[in-house]
Amino acid sequence: MTNRISRRSFLQGTLAASVGVLAACAAPAAPQTGSSVDEDEAAAPAMEAINLRWDTFRGIGSGWNEERIDTFREMHSNVTIELRPLAGSGQQDNYAKMYAAQAAGDLGEVIAFDPSHYHFWRAINKNIIMSIDELVATDGTDLGEWFEHFMSLQYYQGQLYGLPSWGWAGFDTLVTNAVHLEEAGIDLPDPTGHDVSIDTINEWAHAFYSEGERFGLNISHNEATIVVLCRLFNSSLINEEGTKCLLLDDPNATEAMRWAYRLGVEDKILPAPGDIDNAGGALTAGLLTMNWCGSLCVRNFKNAIEDDSIAKAWQILFPTREDGRFPSQLRGGTWNIRQGAENADIAYQFLLHIAGHDGSLSFNLVGGNFAMVRPDVAQSLVGNDPIHEWFIPSLENGIPAHAPANSRGREYTSAVQQWTDLLLDPNQPVAFEEGLQDLHDNIQAILDKDPA
Amino acid sequence: MATLTSRLKVPGMSGGLLTTRQRRENFYGYLFLTPWLLGFFGLFIGPGLGSFYFSLTKYDVLSSPQWIGLDNYITMFTDDPLFWTSLGRTFYYAGLGVPLGVIGSMFLAILLNAKLRGLATYRTLFFMPSLVPIVASVVLWKWLLNDDFGIINQTLNDLGWSDPPGWFGDRRWAIPSLILMGLWQGLGGTRMIIFLAGLQGIPETLYEAASIDGANAYHKLLHVTLPLLTPTIFFNMVLGVIGGLQVFTAAFVATEGGPGFATTFYSLHLYRHAFDYWNMGYASALAWFFAIVIVSLTIWQLRLSRRWVFYYGG
Repeated sequence: MTNRISRRSFLQGTLAASVGVLAACAAPAAPQTGSSVDEDEAAAPAMEAINLRWDTFRGIGSGWNEERIDTFREMHSNVTIELRPLAGSGQQDNYAKMYAAQAAGDLGEVIAFDPSHYHFWRAINKNIIMSIDELVATDGTDLGEWFEHFMSLQYYQGQLYGLPSWGWAGFDTLVTNAVHLEEAGIDLPDPTGHDVSIDTINEWAHAFYSEGERFGLNISHNEATIVVLCRLFNSSLINEEGTKCLLLDDPNATEAMRWAYRLGVEDKILPAPGDIDNAGGALTAGLLTMNWCGSLCVRNFKNAIEDDSIAKAWQILFPTREDGRFPSQLRGGTWNIRQGAENADIAYQFLLHIAGHDGSLSFNLVGGNFAMVRPDVAQSLVGNDPIHEWFIPSLENGIPAHAPANSRGREYTSAVQQWTDLLLDPNQPVAFEEGLQDLHDNIQAILDKDPA
Repeated sequence: MATLTSRLKVPGMSGGLLTTRQRRENFYGYLFLTPWLLGFFGLFIGPGLGSFYFSLTKYDVLSSPQWIGLDNYITMFTDDPLFWTSLGRTFYYAGLGVPLGVIGSMFLAILLNAKLRGLATYRTLFFMPSLVPIVASVVLWKWLLNDDFGIINQTLNDLGWSDPPGWFGDRRWAIPSLILMGLWQGLGGTRMIIFLAGLQGIPETLYEAASIDGANAYHKLLHVTLPLLTPTIFFNMVLGVIGGLQVFTAAFVATEGGPGFATTFYSLHLYRHAFDYWNMGYASALAWFFAIVIVSLTIWQLRLSRRWVFYYGG
């Protein structure tokens, strides 16, 4: 018998061991789909030790999550909730982590796939989150506690899949530095008046522009802005069903883009892509007069101001549409329960705990999110800072977001951003018709793809 | 017929059996190799083969892969408008950035190889930008290169250039802006250190002989330094091309591929399909194609090196 181990046999052994390790690491099957709640589980003994895992990136680091866990535990001493913070470099990275955790069979019971980021419908189609209709019925929850439109975002194909977390009216506002208007001798418009016309916005965009010193108006090229731009002109970017781009088919949508094209490409008074990375900072520094954003930005702008002589927070709401609605895009988040989760009834109680009045209010004030998703929270926020009164009308009369029917939200938003960059590029201008055709065709190409 | 080894008497070895000491050495050798080999097979070869399989499937991580043969590769070449353009941009970036980087680092190293007072301080100063985290570097350069308020354009304006570049916001200038940022960060970095090591490996006697023959500094650079530095240039070129083609982070952080796809490099395009759109099968196909491109380019560089790389004493 020889004591030699040949290199070949050693490498073969290592390879076999590696294969064994890889095989052992194979992801367990993703949780099976099936009935949303096992009735035996729902009737679990009250004092059974229960552990839930909460995978989220919302509120992390603020203390809000821990406070919610502690107060829940005071009510349910047998329940422990393991907070597993998601800390990707951006929101989309965190969704990626949740998809990967689901594939590995390790996704927590309490999760969030926000409609606003177009992950909600995909997560339902992939059987990641469960319908909570039965839990609502069993608990007798009054769904009227939340604003109807944010509640409506939680439904898909007639079933309820979550409770609202954050929510706002999208890019419905021109966040305005009132100092510039006052210096120009302009009376500040009513912040909830919807009485500044498109022509006046156009005029002020020109009037407050000073080359190399200040921009009068900033329009970013993201989907949130382009949708509201089209809605301002009584149209939208895609139809309600999420199957058709309207840019070429609806003259109003075409006119909306032409309006932005004139300002950005022909008159060259809008910042080019990359000119203003931090529009909030530019407002605070007095380098920008009107930033097309939303109510959350108004609040943040107000909180960021250090010198009242340079900046003072104000807002201008867009004029009311012909149909009486306010140009907006009601966007919101959600809290969900994983499909097949054990102790779904307890998880649901925790959902109520974080989405209820106290949880939602502290989600705003401690967690730093904008969550005017409940009328009672809106009132509490107004009591905390009257500026919140400004934001309520859009919530009550806004227009919901339209999502691609094929759940390809990320591809859709990416196409809108990049092709709008090309259309509105002042440095290498393209003819309006050509740029609009490209934008339209590339959005439609995404909408025409197979479901994700 | 007896073999040479069987006829030679090797101390400590008899009849093909290993001594206890050699067995122990072998044991420890293999023991210390094992973690690396497990990682190599388990974390590189295994996933690599896995991704090749996925490249032949439609796969979104959440559902089982569906076999579609070569469809992903066909789509890549015929039905992905960003495939060729992102590949082109990547070659543009590497084609411009790598030669500038290598030549710049080389001349910086030559300067810093001179016998000057305070040399260590200069070397440290030039090396420092490479220590700056890339995200911080991006933030800094986005301020510097801001079209309207940036200090560089303000300076260019003061110098009389009334319409200076839009830098990151201008599709024509977005890639040069990234190259500029990369040069600031990379010229004095590890590449320069490698060049310095190469320069210090050139025998002093060759310079002395050249001086005796009447060579001036330019002649010495051209006929002594550069020829003897070609192995180092070649090494840096190979690494530079591989790194340049994999450009990702700066574009991901600084421009997110924009404006208007101007900095959507191949790796960013691949990343989006993998982790934003969850077209993991398609992303695997993109990855395999690119791996073949990079390996082919490296082999081509190796073959080409026979014509211009000079190994002193080799």
